[in-house]
Amino acid sequence: MITLKEALALSKEELEAFKDALKTQIEANKELNGYIDVNSVGEGVPIAIKDNIQVDGWAVTAASNILQGYVSPYNATVIDKMKAAGLSPLGRTNMDEFAMGSTTESSFYGKTLNPHNAEYVPGGSSGGSAAVVGAGLAIAALGSDTGGSIRQPAAYCGVVGMKPTYGRVSRYGLGAYASSLDQIGPITQNVEDAAILYDILSGHDEKDSTSSTLECLSVADKLDKSRKLKIAVIQGHTDEASDAIKSAYTKAIDALKSAGHEVVERELLDGKYDISAYYVTATAEATTNLARYDGIRYGNRVEGKNLSDTYIQTRSNGFGDEVKRRILLGNFVLSSGYYDAYYVKAQKVRSLIKAEYEKIFEEVDLVLSPVAPDTAPKFGEMSDPMKMYLSDIYTISVNLAGLPAISLPIENAASNGMPVGLQLIAAPFNEQTLFDGALSLESTINYTKGN
Amino acid sequence: MQVDDVLLSRLEKLSHLHIDEKNREEVIEQLSEIVAFVDNLSELDTQDVSDTFSMSNLSTITREDTPTCVSKINDDILNHAPNSADRFFIVPKIIE
Repeated sequence: MITLKEALALSKEELEAFKDALKTQIEANKELNGYIDVNSVGEGVPIAIKDNIQVDGWAVTAASNILQGYVSPYNATVIDKMKAAGLSPLGRTNMDEFAMGSTTESSFYGKTLNPHNAEYVPGGSSGGSAAVVGAGLAIAALGSDTGGSIRQPAAYCGVVGMKPTYGRVSRYGLGAYASSLDQIGPITQNVEDAAILYDILSGHDEKDSTSSTLECLSVADKLDKSRKLKIAVIQGHTDEASDAIKSAYTKAIDALKSAGHEVVERELLDGKYDISAYYVTATAEATTNLARYDGIRYGNRVEGKNLSDTYIQTRSNGFGDEVKRRILLGNFVLSSGYYDAYYVKAQKVRSLIKAEYEKIFEEVDLVLSPVAPDTAPKFGEMSDPMKMYLSDIYTISVNLAGLPAISLPIENAASNGMPVGLQLIAAPFNEQTLFDGALSLESTINYTKGN
Repeated sequence: MQVDDVLLSRLEKLSHLHIDEKNREEVIEQLSEIVAFVDNLSELDTQDVSDTFSMSNLSTITREDTPTCVSKINDDILNHAPNSADRFFIVPKIIE
């Protein structure tokens, strides 16, 4: 597959021919089920779009039954920005329902296969986006990351996934899951493409009140892999991780040192508190955001005996099990009698987590971290919700603290041949350093799909 | 903290959701396990931490309160709504 950089240099005729060939290729590889459907808008470089980002005229359903019948009436800001930069949406990709999951198994449209081995999940929630890039069926894709939903599937599929700083990319037109955590970001074949797409997506948007007004400088034209950085690893961070992760971690540390970076050790709060603060915050916000799906204004209505019964029937039939679980949990942590002990407490712990990172970034440029405790699991292995939540341990503190991070492939595991990705994390709004470090690590490691 | 049937019923009401009889036991078990886990938050001392959290240290972004309307969006939403007529959403009868 050609890179985004190469595609942007194609003539109009070459691009048309490429898009025709791509559509044939997608049609020939339907069993991957990374795409829900393949509609095309405009004449630009084709980019696959996660099914929770609004594209005018497309069915956009967050892979949920409850949104069947909904047609988006407008473009998300990121779509308008892409079109202005010569890119165009082609195909909507599969995901966990409402982005709640780590395997894409909870989709209304069935499971997506991992392009490296069809017995394994592609990760989630942006599993379709990562799978189509990993399978060579997309130049690049958009995903959204609330607790690792870009970085984890990218790691499982052997591609690059980047979550921008909270506020850097407009969320206008992103189906809301947890509003204080969600960010849209690129999933690409390499670090440079991620930087190019990030530059296109980022910037202030008056339609998103959480969008930052800080100056937004381009990154891709200033990429510098020769910069020498101070990179922290966290004490005991891989103790609970599998041998495959430990091996890749050691390899990455050696590569960073050999590239001239200084690697130091730092401490962070036990990850079990991240999980608690995250699941309390995310479910509380999800409960609130998903209250709008009542069958009245859009999507799929199930008529009941009266209005109240219509709400209950619509929601009980329309939402899947994981979404229901999170709505119930969110109402628990927000309800009278439990609010202070759970929701307020989680916000306080979130402050602690953010402060810890701020302290670390006073002294270092980047943090190196695993993305997941193991390589992709096989289908069905993550059916226990608590087990699935625990597997988010390495990604969610980044969302809780609003930091930018990028996941990139390091090697394929000796045990099962599946890709292992690791992430670099930077201080808020320091995307330049993040991409510089990632480019250095990528070129030193020189990962290829078959290795 | 143990979730029981009474609490689940309260959460169903707050959530506008109905959990089938055959799934209740499993849902109660799963919610109990998750709530028991997140109880670990109480191990952390947060006495001196403010109870408001904000991602940004900057003040809230404001803008002029100028009304705008893209009527195409309204039309599209109404056209694709489950049930609409004369620019209204049709809902089940509320008053007998």
